[in-house]
Amino acid sequence: MTTALIWRWPTPNGLPPLPLVGGVLALLAGLWLTAPIVEVDFVRLIGSLGRMVTFAGQMFVTPDWEYVPQLLAKMLETIEMTVLGTAVAIVVSLPLGILAAGNATPHPVVYRVTRDLLSLMRALPELVWALVFVSAVGLGPLPGVMALAFVTVGFMGKFFAESIEVVDHKAVEGVRAHGAGWLQVRLFAMLPQALPDFVGTVMYILDHNLRAAAILGLVGAGGIGYDLVMSMRLFQYDRLLLIALSIYLVVTVLDRASDRLRSRIIHGRRT
Amino acid sequence: MNVHDLKSARPQPLPPKPRNPMPVWVAATLAMLWLIVWDLEISFETLAYGVADMAEYFSRYGQPDFTDLSRYLSLMGVTLATALWGTVFALLVAFFLAPLAARNFAPNAVTYRIAREILNFMRAMPDLLLALIFVAALGLGPLPGALALGVHTAGFLGKFFAESLERVDKGVCEGVASTGANFPQMVMYAGWPSIMREALGYVLYILDRNVRMASVLGLVGAGGIGLALHDTLRLFDYGQSAALILVILATILMIDYASAWLRGRLG
Repeated sequence: MTTALIWRWPTPNGLPPLPLVGGVLALLAGLWLTAPIVEVDFVRLIGSLGRMVTFAGQMFVTPDWEYVPQLLAKMLETIEMTVLGTAVAIVVSLPLGILAAGNATPHPVVYRVTRDLLSLMRALPELVWALVFVSAVGLGPLPGVMALAFVTVGFMGKFFAESIEVVDHKAVEGVRAHGAGWLQVRLFAMLPQALPDFVGTVMYILDHNLRAAAILGLVGAGGIGYDLVMSMRLFQYDRLLLIALSIYLVVTVLDRASDRLRSRIIHGRRT
Repeated sequence: MNVHDLKSARPQPLPPKPRNPMPVWVAATLAMLWLIVWDLEISFETLAYGVADMAEYFSRYGQPDFTDLSRYLSLMGVTLATALWGTVFALLVAFFLAPLAARNFAPNAVTYRIAREILNFMRAMPDLLLALIFVAALGLGPLPGALALGVHTAGFLGKFFAESLERVDKGVCEGVASTGANFPQMVMYAGWPSIMREALGYVLYILDRNVRMASVLGLVGAGGIGLALHDTLRLFDYGQSAALILVILATILMIDYASAWLRGRLG
């Protein structure tokens, strides 16, 4: 503990630890400096509460039941985009993950290059890529799927690489002792050990992509987002209510399912 | 044991050969993906033409136009400030909600459930939808963006914090509880100090995420660099778009490295 910073509060001398105090002071200074930029105005904030309540009140109208079939179709499209984008990303990021893992990479240079490539891919949010791809291949779900897959490869490749890096070295040595080749060591010693982590990662990414896919329509890249923005702009609160509810429902269901699956994988399920 | 004994021993029936369900799964997945492709009406022809065109298309971004750089930088500043305020807002909300949503700290089962549901709800609302609502209520500008980011990420941060709090060593909790500590004292002396390191890691992750999101919130009128990018792309002004994308990219990579460095020092 001599070299590490002391973070815990009840310190030996009873005073708050210096890094914590310094951090909080720096944060407060930053907030105070940026307040005018963000136009933080508490009077305006409180004054807008009334409008917020009015707005929330307008949401509670009789839903536009006529719209339900179209809503279901759009929601299905959103889910399909999510699944397809994630599937493409899995296929692309498995080899990239192996190349970007310190213990599985063929050469340190390959490792560095792949790592930097992955961090470039995940740097920009899906919406920016969706904007670019919509300009390139036209409106529709295709640019949305491309944007989802592109950004997700950046995240998934990194996560895969990290879970390959922490595999037990003994199994690798054992397989290598049998005269396994380069690819065989990766396939039969490293990937099986990293598989539980992979499943957790895929669930997390699926969750992330569903949220992202729900708003990609904003720029014309397919999914429910377009209807969402349109009903907002046209003040069709009867539709907006349904859309918001359906997004909430789908996201919550997937969230619960992935939570359950992940905890089952992490805590083991030996039958 | 001689040969005769061995021969008389009845051969044990072999255990059934384990069935490998892998091909079935792969086939089912491929079939589902094909169905999706068919349903989304993605034609590979378009994609092939698109790929051919794309090289030409991306070459248009070849000459970034940095004449307006100072304006871009100030817009990026607004974006960063929005992300910072959003993160701090999320931190404040999560600080109060997370102990209530941790099973071992929650005063009773009812508050636990309510806190969990509030966090779930905040997480489920996409931040762009929240931004649309806040823009409608507050008017244009970065403030609704910061609020939207704050509400959405408070759900994430609260969940992460609550999960860390649930992993706090039982002995620590018992030790503090045995001094007669009440709920706030338990949280302040057994809860937060034990998870400080993890919590800082999560806050950095959320800040990172918020910077990315803040750079697109401009699309719905919530200020920042996103609106400028949207406008230049709509006007097919590739030089300026390239410059804007480069500014965003450089900032995000810088934040990425800074937070990786900080996390390395914490860990």
